[in-house]
Amino acid sequence: MAARPLVTVYDEKCEATKSTVRLPAVFRAQIRPDIVSFVHFQMLKNTQQPYAVAEKAGHQTSAESWGTGRAVARIPRVRGGGTHRSGQGAFGNMCRGGRMFAPTKTWRRWHRRINITQRRYAICSAVAATGVPSLILAKGHRIEQVPEVPLVMSDKIQELKKTREAVKLLKSVGAWPDVQRCIDSKRLRPGKGKMRNRRRIMKRGPLIVYGKNDGITRAFRNIPGVTLIKVDRLNLLKIAPGGHVGRFIIWTEGAFRQLDEIYGNWSKKSAAKKDFNLPMPKMTNSDLSRLLRAEEIQRALRTPRKRIVRSTMKKNPLKNLNLMVKLNPAAAMLKRRAIMQEMKRKKARQAKVDKKRGVVKDTKPKGKAPAKGKAKPAAAAKKEQPKKK
Amino acid sequence: MLSFRTKVGRFCRNEYNLTGLCNRNSCPLANSQYATVREEKGICYLYMKTIERSHFPNRLWEKVKLSRNYEKAIEQINTQLMYWPNFIKHKCKQRFTKMTQYLIRVRRLTMKKQKKLVPLSKKVERRERRREAKALVAAQVDRAIEKELLDRLKKGTYGDIYNFPAHAFDKALDKEGEEDEEEEEEEDEQESEGEVEYVAEDEFEESDISDLEDMDAESSSEDDTEKPPAIPKKKRPRVEIEYEQEPSTSRTTS
Repeated sequence: MAARPLVTVYDEKCEATKSTVRLPAVFRAQIRPDIVSFVHFQMLKNTQQPYAVAEKAGHQTSAESWGTGRAVARIPRVRGGGTHRSGQGAFGNMCRGGRMFAPTKTWRRWHRRINITQRRYAICSAVAATGVPSLILAKGHRIEQVPEVPLVMSDKIQELKKTREAVKLLKSVGAWPDVQRCIDSKRLRPGKGKMRNRRRIMKRGPLIVYGKNDGITRAFRNIPGVTLIKVDRLNLLKIAPGGHVGRFIIWTEGAFRQLDEIYGNWSKKSAAKKDFNLPMPKMTNSDLSRLLRAEEIQRALRTPRKRIVRSTMKKNPLKNLNLMVKLNPAAAMLKRRAIMQEMKRKKARQAKVDKKRGVVKDTKPKGKAPAKGKAKPAAAAKKEQPKKK
Repeated sequence: MLSFRTKVGRFCRNEYNLTGLCNRNSCPLANSQYATVREEKGICYLYMKTIERSHFPNRLWEKVKLSRNYEKAIEQINTQLMYWPNFIKHKCKQRFTKMTQYLIRVRRLTMKKQKKLVPLSKKVERRERRREAKALVAAQVDRAIEKELLDRLKKGTYGDIYNFPAHAFDKALDKEGEEDEEEEEEEDEQESEGEVEYVAEDEFEESDISDLEDMDAESSSEDDTEKPPAIPKKKRPRVEIEYEQEPSTSRTTS
């Protein structure tokens, strides 16, 4: 698989300590946003609380249709009299006060079960994605000032007790811009959620994964945007909020070291999960451009056809002389000959005609055509007339 | 990435983007080897990111200051991006060229006289205009002017004037009549030396008579009392005979 470099651990003042951790194999798992998205979506359904319309809603009347012949629509109408309600339509989804179409029922299938392998695959993918800075940036977290990704801090931070110290820590580590982004995004939820105890919403900030809680929860939990989870209970809904991979995670050293045990590396099975090893990728090397340039593949290919053949428009040789000449070189000569002959013939004929008429011809106009209204023929005719006489 | 892409038009909002478009080739997130030219306060820098530093976001971008000289800067870009993909090299140089051009334009514009555009708030302007008009009315400028002129007249800065516009004079006299009554009441309390005033007959006017009558109607002490010089009475065109014995009449004569 891919190389697994050493990750430096940072202390509370954000200085690199001497200790390093080899990158857990999880971070080299396949990043499959499709699986993450699917599993996330299914998992979300599991927290749903059922909703339904009241069972008897719209049916608590003894309405009956008046039938035909009363000049009213045939919908069941409320019995009796003496009130507005009498005679009004009932029971239908189109009626005011009627039951809705397909009343929602509590026995709808709210929850989904997801295959355990799929679940684990999704978590591995999501964790792997948190090791790619581009994905974290693309998700929207401001990590431009973070010293390293994945960000591992010493176990000392698990003992933090005061929020003030926690804030100082985040600022020194360069995670504060991300928190600030959450603070700036505080706004009211659109819609009825406002009056259902979900009034305010804001963005998600850094996720802090710890190994042992010595007070860290209390220190960090009031900071806007920050979420805390323990490493042995990683939750996809927290690691890939919204179904999108690439949340910004701050690990503690202990938590980071545990990842290899929890998820295994390919040579070793997971210790914590029964019968689980990291997912095998479909392609070991997914760098397509590199592959295509590789020697082994290039050797197996035939030579590329660089010649571009474009379809030519078919032209009719009988109309297009150039094309005719291509097919029959003599055509040009033939055509010329034909033209010359025609000219000769015309001339001869004209000469004959002129002779018969006794016209001495100088140049162009056919002086015979009388009523053309043009000066020249008229002049010629005038010339002719006196001669005729 | 799509998170930086604008909704309308395929533009990238990432500040390191070379072309401004959201493409696979132009995305600073999608390419592990990338370079841009950016300008800060008139100085152009070449930013480069390589795959070796891809996991250290705070050191990711290497910043090289480009020379002020255009040719030298192009050479700098060429040497820094020597074996880089042609697309990035080409686009960097194009971007740098465009930048220098607009910087020149900026400098030229700042030299020219710049009109500062101040936005007007229509609502505010309308409100203030109305308020000015109201304040003008409330100030009663003409009255103040009138008062000032009368004061000056009383003080005698104009000497004695005999031509008054009739209605203004009458109005002033009427006012004075009221004033007199008030003042006279006050003066009853004040006890000052009585003084005899002699008034020329020609210049006697009805209002004067009425005043005198009023004066008579009130106590005799009025005749005696004189208004302290601090409160000058009416401005009348009259000549007063001053007794040299008692120079306390401070009225300036014509």
